[in-house]
Amino acid sequence: MPGATYLRGLTGLPPIMTASPSVSPTIDPTESARESLLEFRNVRIVYDNAIEAIRDVSIAVPASGIVALLGSNGAGKSTLLKAMSGILHTEEGELENGSISFRGESVHHLAPDELVRRGIVQVPEGRRVFPALTIDENLQMGGYTKSAAETRQQREKVFGMFPRLYERRDQIAGYMSGGEQQMLAIGRALMTGPALLALDEPSLGLAPLIIDRIYEVIAKLRDEMKLTVLLVEQNAQRALDICDYAYILETGRVVLDGTARKLSANEDVQEFYLGVSGSGRKSMRDVKHYKRRKRWLS
Amino acid sequence: MQYLIQLLISGLAIGAIYGLIAMAFAVIYKSTGLVNFAQGEMTMIVAYVAWTISTTISGNIFVVAFGAIVAAVLLGLVIERVVMRPMLGEPVFSTVMVTIGLAVILRSSINFIWDAYPHALDLGVGRDVVRVGSIGVRTGQIAVITTLLLLLVGIWAFFRYSKFGVAMRAVAADDRTALLMGISAPRVHGFAWAASSAIAGIAGVFFALSYDLSPVMFQLGLKAFPATILGGLDAVLGSGLGGLLIGITENLAGGYVGSGMKEVAGFLMIIVVLMIRPFGIFGERDIERV
Repeated sequence: MPGATYLRGLTGLPPIMTASPSVSPTIDPTESARESLLEFRNVRIVYDNAIEAIRDVSIAVPASGIVALLGSNGAGKSTLLKAMSGILHTEEGELENGSISFRGESVHHLAPDELVRRGIVQVPEGRRVFPALTIDENLQMGGYTKSAAETRQQREKVFGMFPRLYERRDQIAGYMSGGEQQMLAIGRALMTGPALLALDEPSLGLAPLIIDRIYEVIAKLRDEMKLTVLLVEQNAQRALDICDYAYILETGRVVLDGTARKLSANEDVQEFYLGVSGSGRKSMRDVKHYKRRKRWLS
Repeated sequence: MQYLIQLLISGLAIGAIYGLIAMAFAVIYKSTGLVNFAQGEMTMIVAYVAWTISTTISGNIFVVAFGAIVAAVLLGLVIERVVMRPMLGEPVFSTVMVTIGLAVILRSSINFIWDAYPHALDLGVGRDVVRVGSIGVRTGQIAVITTLLLLLVGIWAFFRYSKFGVAMRAVAADDRTALLMGISAPRVHGFAWAASSAIAGIAGVFFALSYDLSPVMFQLGLKAFPATILGGLDAVLGSGLGGLLIGITENLAGGYVGSGMKEVAGFLMIIVVLMIRPFGIFGERDIERV
């Protein structure tokens, strides 16, 4: 059985690496296409024609819910988001195989502005507010694809959600604190009037208290604005607490996926990503080599 | 005293021309992060096109002005689309080298499209002298200073209040994030090149009106470059004012110290200024917070 799975991976078939493959809901193209808002199917992404960043990844994001992409640095999480937003080419990346579809239509060939118009937006890693622009101007840029009336309406909503931004609307964004910048980055993305909001490491470099605030906001986006959220995180604990379903990426492949509850209960996830085990907290370094391999071959 | 005022006025007039070209530099730098070393050459080409229009189609000043601006916009768009867009995403250094190559090509194109002799752009305006007391000012000089001031105000308002102007600043700050917000960076770049070419073209036409056309006119770009460094490469308004400063400095140095000083005065001035403010007088310090 281990040998067979390994071979399947090599021949390009979707690898099924879940702890219990029999209940894996991922790879059923006919069914998931109908339900998913966003779907990556057998995606392979190569940088510079040489470096394979994503290998045969299939991910489904069903409408109105939170799906998390977990994994360590360099696992390919951000690469997937770049592919989703159509900006791979700015880094010499290319979608070599597979497809990305949104509302059942194939979208991976579309220009970034068209993707925004269709309702896909992301809050990039490191917030990336325009530092020399005021808060108001940053928001205005989020509404770039919208009419003036829509922008005004959406801005009211964003200010209602983040009163702090309203208070400081004429200040230069570059001088705000990290947490405020994250709020601004989220507000700016909301200005596009999205159906799907992707957040790339929203907790990066922020204090735990601020992270709590950010996650409250994410929950609000789901509950009040009925947004579909694709959450990319290294902080697996936080993400699993809020998401409905999660995928774990490792060196460009999905090695594990399942509902948040199932993953949190998974012994390997607890050890590798949540840092807990029977004998208390543990670091990845202490994990025996054979145990790491186990996940690939089980 | 009269000598000083005369020097100041002609300094302002030539400074306004430098200022316009310096603004053209800054518009491209601000939205694409590039220094366009072909700016002086583009100025010259537009002036030659204006001269061709005046000799073949009509010498009417409005026809010439309209034709020159259309030609300048087209020139900017074509250069952006054909030469610069394929360089998107390449290192800044190679892209700047491309503009240097472009400069050489444009410079020599004067010789095979037109010729190497000086020509006068004679529209029947601009060379009349208006007397205010004992001081004589040419109407062309008044016109160019007025144009610079109007454009300064117009461009300030554009970057401050228009959605597209704000988008240009956003693209300049972070083009990838701008893409994520649905701002089309190529369109912004195309607009910047067209606008920059038009501003520089206006300067070229004014220069040709007061002085003459010749294949060494591209040196205006070399004179305007210190102006934009002085004002701050990313400061469009600062560049315009920097042009005026350089023009005045040059003229005063030429008038009081000696004509040899005229060529170097501007450069001496930027060396001193940059020692004190390395990002230019009006340039923005990068916001760095930890």
